[in-house]
Amino acid sequence: MSRLLEVEGVSFSYVGRSVLNSVTFSAGEGEFLALLGINGSGKSTLLDIISGFRNPETGSVSVTGRNQRHWKLREIARQVSHLPQSIHADLPFTAEQLVAMGRYPHTDRWFESEEDHKFVRQAMERTSCWVQRHRAFASLSGGERQRVLLAACLAQDASTLLLDEPSTFLDIEQQLHCFSVLREEARTGKLCIAATHDLNLALTYCTRLIVLADGVIAHDIHTAQAHDNEDWLALFSTRLSMGATPAGTPWVWYQ
Amino acid sequence: MSAQGFSFGTRYSVTLSVLIFLGAAFLLPWVGAGPISLVRVLRHESPDYDILLQLRISRTLLALVAGGALSLAGTLLQAMLRDALATPYTLGISAGASLGAVAVIAAGWEAFLGVPMIWIGALAGAFGVLILVIGGSFRRRQISAFSLLLTGIAINSVCAAFIIILSSFAGMSRSFSIARWLIGSIDATSYRSLGALTAVVLITSTLILFQARSWNLLAVGERWAASRGVHVGRLLTQGYVLGSILVAGAIALTGPIGFVGLIVPHLVRSRISPDHRILMPCAFFLGGSLLAFCDALGRIVMPPAELPAGAVLALIGGPYLVWVIRQRIPVEEI
Repeated sequence: MSRLLEVEGVSFSYVGRSVLNSVTFSAGEGEFLALLGINGSGKSTLLDIISGFRNPETGSVSVTGRNQRHWKLREIARQVSHLPQSIHADLPFTAEQLVAMGRYPHTDRWFESEEDHKFVRQAMERTSCWVQRHRAFASLSGGERQRVLLAACLAQDASTLLLDEPSTFLDIEQQLHCFSVLREEARTGKLCIAATHDLNLALTYCTRLIVLADGVIAHDIHTAQAHDNEDWLALFSTRLSMGATPAGTPWVWYQ
Repeated sequence: MSAQGFSFGTRYSVTLSVLIFLGAAFLLPWVGAGPISLVRVLRHESPDYDILLQLRISRTLLALVAGGALSLAGTLLQAMLRDALATPYTLGISAGASLGAVAVIAAGWEAFLGVPMIWIGALAGAFGVLILVIGGSFRRRQISAFSLLLTGIAINSVCAAFIIILSSFAGMSRSFSIARWLIGSIDATSYRSLGALTAVVLITSTLILFQARSWNLLAVGERWAASRGVHVGRLLTQGYVLGSILVAGAIALTGPIGFVGLIVPHLVRSRISPDHRILMPCAFFLGGSLLAFCDALGRIVMPPAELPAGAVLALIGGPYLVWVIRQRIPVEEI
């Protein structure tokens, strides 16, 4: 497994309030990381820094072994795609136009090529939103929008996918489908990092859990070992306990 | 979206817009309070030949170029601020140009080295505001649409206050000139000035259009654009500088004509395509055509008096704006 991402001593603060404090971890091909933590724990900020949207105050991020500072933004975008937590959707782009924007870092052509169009179609079919391709994004439901945005991420064809709460607004079936798609992406050799509040989705689909608390990585555990030490659960609520599904998958119960 | 993915109407909309633009350029000079004889023009006989060549054609061309520039600037600002109701004037450039022009009118300066001082004042005011807004918007060596908007609105208000103060002390006749300039109008201009404006608009518009794919991304969101390889701060600064050059150049010759930068981009976006590769050229050509049409309408509606093109546009644009606000879906976040 080759390393795709190395985060080394990354710190960041907003107006004097420390959000991340010397965060260090690395991840490689085939991993599906769940980035966990309570609200305000720095999950989105960490994803922003990895995607190159924000610069860390200290520390560094390396993508495929090369320091991010030495990449052009467009080069990073070919390696790392980012699904943001929210976007303004007032302008009436169609679903297909939004997904096609994922091809931006790959081409300088005025219009996308046939190959780009194939990527767009495949991504939209995988996230079950091809039928909505001609509809204005603003007219879609929350769940439909989230699927379109996920398709835009897939169409970018990057080796690392950063997803900020990808299952927001999705119904149960679509949540499962979304995480299945991401797990499949990881199995094809990509690295997926999803910030999520759904512990059971993380335990079911992800290979590794990174728990942020007070700006540091409080726990970095493989999902299969989530049973061994339940201290990480206490960071979310004292009303949680660990069990297992009949198939043996770790499962969090709410009391 | 691939070129093949565009509908028939969308694919030919740019061509159609160019044809409308050319149609306006050839037909509208013939529209005016008095008829012009084609035969007399062909024989170079006065006054028909002189009226057409020296007054009507230059005036129509000015309306086409200035209207196109203002419409394109509106499209650009709407993408940068992610607000379909943003106008070329939202970020204070118009107020700066107006303050410069009003100061010149109030002082009674006429010309400097043959160049009307009012143009120099408008350009100086616009670029003064440009530097202030960009300087005031940088925070932690980064710039965002939000900081541009807030700084622009603040400077807009300061300029508006100074305009009122200058108007109050300018005396009756100069106050009237100030009010007339502020509503915006198309007057016959020299071909030299027109050529200079056309060159500036052509270069600036081309630079803006080359970035059409990036404007698409920025119109969705700054984080969205950055994670697809766009240098957001650099693009916003470029957009503001280029948009300001367009607006300053146009209104130095016409005064601050409103609404063309609002109506046309909105219509094209909703009826043809929100994709800036289509939207921007269509907005330019149709914006120029609309302003030239309004100017021609102003010439014939109450002859021999002429309504300023800015007033005709405001009469059309005001009700249209109310309609837009009533139809508008609120900004949605997901």
